Amino acid sequence: MDMKRDYYEDIEIFSSNTVLAWSMAFMIFLFAFPFLVGNYYIYLANVILVHVILAVGLNILVGYTGQISLGHAGFFAIGAYGTALLMTHLPMPFLLAVIIAGLIAAFFGFIIGLPALRLEGPYLAIATLGFGLTIMHIIGTWDVFGGRMGIHAPALEMGIPELGMSLVLNTDMKIYYLILVIAILMVIGGKNLMKTRIGRAFVAIRDDDIAAEVMGVNLTIFKTLSFAVSAFYAGVAGGLFAFVVKFFDPFTFNLILSIVFLVMVVVGGLGSILGAVMGAALITYLQYDLLKNMGELPYLGDLLVSFSRKWFTVIGMDNIGGFLLGLIMVLIVIFEPLGMFGIWIRIKKYWKTWPF
Amino acid sequence: MKRFLCTGFMVVCLFLALTLTCSAQEKGFDDKEIRIGQWGPQTGPAAPWGAVARGSGLLFDVVNEEGGIHGRTIRYFLRDDQYNPAQTVAVVKDLVERRGVFAFVGGVGGACGLAVMEYLKQNKIIWVGPSAAIREFVFPANPYLFAVYPLYEDESSILTKFVVEKLKAKKIGFFFQNDQYGKDGLSGAKKRLATYNMSLIAEIPVEPGDKDLSSQILRFKESGAEVVIMFVNPTVAAIALKTAATIDYKPQWVSSDTLSDYPLMNTITGGLWEGVITGAFGLPPDTDHPILNKYRDAAKRFSPEERWGTFYLAGILFADPLVEALHRVGPNLSTEATLKALNSITNHQTIGPPVTWTPEIHQGTDSVQIQQCGPGATYITLQDWQSNDLATWKK
Repeated sequence: MDMKRDYYEDIEIFSSNTVLAWSMAFMIFLFAFPFLVGNYYIYLANVILVHVILAVGLNILVGYTGQISLGHAGFFAIGAYGTALLMTHLPMPFLLAVIIAGLIAAFFGFIIGLPALRLEGPYLAIATLGFGLTIMHIIGTWDVFGGRMGIHAPALEMGIPELGMSLVLNTDMKIYYLILVIAILMVIGGKNLMKTRIGRAFVAIRDDDIAAEVMGVNLTIFKTLSFAVSAFYAGVAGGLFAFVVKFFDPFTFNLILSIVFLVMVVVGGLGSILGAVMGAALITYLQYDLLKNMGELPYLGDLLVSFSRKWFTVIGMDNIGGFLLGLIMVLIVIFEPLGMFGIWIRIKKYWKTWPF
Repeated sequence: MKRFLCTGFMVVCLFLALTLTCSAQEKGFDDKEIRIGQWGPQTGPAAPWGAVARGSGLLFDVVNEEGGIHGRTIRYFLRDDQYNPAQTVAVVKDLVERRGVFAFVGGVGGACGLAVMEYLKQNKIIWVGPSAAIREFVFPANPYLFAVYPLYEDESSILTKFVVEKLKAKKIGFFFQNDQYGKDGLSGAKKRLATYNMSLIAEIPVEPGDKDLSSQILRFKESGAEVVIMFVNPTVAAIALKTAATIDYKPQWVSSDTLSDYPLMNTITGGLWEGVITGAFGLPPDTDHPILNKYRDAAKRFSPEERWGTFYLAGILFADPLVEALHRVGPNLSTEATLKALNSITNHQTIGPPVTWTPEIHQGTDSVQIQQCGPGATYITLQDWQSNDLATWKK
């Protein structure tokens, strides 16, 4: 399907004019979206976009470089706390704060990347898991970070009020546009990165790190770089997340969150930017909306409620929610290892050759 | 075949998405129903507290069975937020904007509540009985938020008074979680002891994740504390009791109401919970009390598989004042009328403490009971409802 005939075809962002046209149409839809739906959906879209940024970053690490991380909630937390605290204590505009917070997260990513040079598979998973939990506990213990009670995000100030330039984004819709622009830039950035020497080095490490080293890929540099880039994405996503929810505590960034992030990437499709985007959108929508409202579905809802009450624990519908999320994950891994991206490819192929 | 499946799958997805999108409702009630919502962790790490939200559901089932409120039934929306503020915000926005919820009751989790507090206020949604004692909820008074849960500082003060006057303890230690919950408890105890010209013989903090408490417990033993008051979480309490048992240290343990689920605590401590004294925000679940009996019978009919425990009861008593207010409002329901009715509730008491709200003070009570865990995790009431004469916020 995606056969490339020469190098220049490989480094194009849009492989054909059709793709370009559809991307543009989708872009217009995204920009018009807040005018088409209610406030609740804008909030949901904000969370989805934040997760998209994170999933694209995580995919660079997991899907392209073949490393694993169960500690991304930690980088996410560094981004959220970093941005909120920088803006509270040293009045600085949001964009500067979020970039600095992202770089702090990237620095921690680099640090975590060092043990990754020697650890693989389950051992690396445990090391990163430990990192995620440590961050959660450090934030909870130190009063500088607001302790276990959590902190309020300050007003989302884009300018510098001291210089008479103030622009506060105070509604979900305004925040939506900010996140949308950042998300688009970071997704394109991620896609581009994968077409460079660095991206190809990541892929080489994933496929065989010894062979990559023989070819001249410096493992130390590129493995830690992959962690740093991935952590930077998570940090920026965290910085935006802080202003989407406006209040958060250390417990928000628990182990379950790290696992859900990983689920997004796996379900979306490892090693595909588009897959990460789709996975983040699907899992967030399922988790935040569909699975919570299944009890209200016509006909099906009552049936499922009585079924879960009879056979599962007293918590009712939410049994089914957790069950379905797990089932989707298992089915994807067994039947569609490429994730939603694989399904997408097959649908595309089918229509391209239609009616044959 | 594959094409057929593919198309079918897409149609089902569209159908699901559309049915969920198109059910937008604006007002909080109509002639037939009043919509009330609650968030609570049903799954995830805090799931044991999910019983609170289900308890409120039982109350509304009972109200509906008795014919509703002035001809309207209560439609209850319970949503799982997994104790995650981001999901709480999503759940609350969904219920307010798409389901048209009139009011919220309960709601476990301080951070979860703080994440939605402003939003609910801006949208003029009434919120009764958050199940967390957070000072920011009630000070300064938020016109739409009415709290039932006694503040930890008040509870600690009442417990300390009991320890000094009834247990005649001279050497009192205080074991607290290093956060607002524990520090509020500590401050209440210190203020109470100051009135007797006494002070704590040991005050030792603990991090909620600590698994080895031998040094802390040893310090209590060396201090000679005869009573140790705990404001900690269930895991820490269980480890503390087990550690004390291994070094043969047997003080009288006194704990906050967050650990008043005796069957649970007795199980996780391996039977060591017997004899522990705790504060309590509700009557013991096994009390022979007409209102409590009514709910207990209803629970057997509506959800026989549910454990009849403290947290389940808490869900009933946190939501109960809202039902009372809705009854008082009469058939001409509105948010303003309900607020007025809530603000006029005085000494309203069912299975919890007496609740009083005024337009200026929305912390409904400062009363707790004191109970003790008897053999087989039974409840023994040591002291009936008592308020905190040192509470400063009432003046």
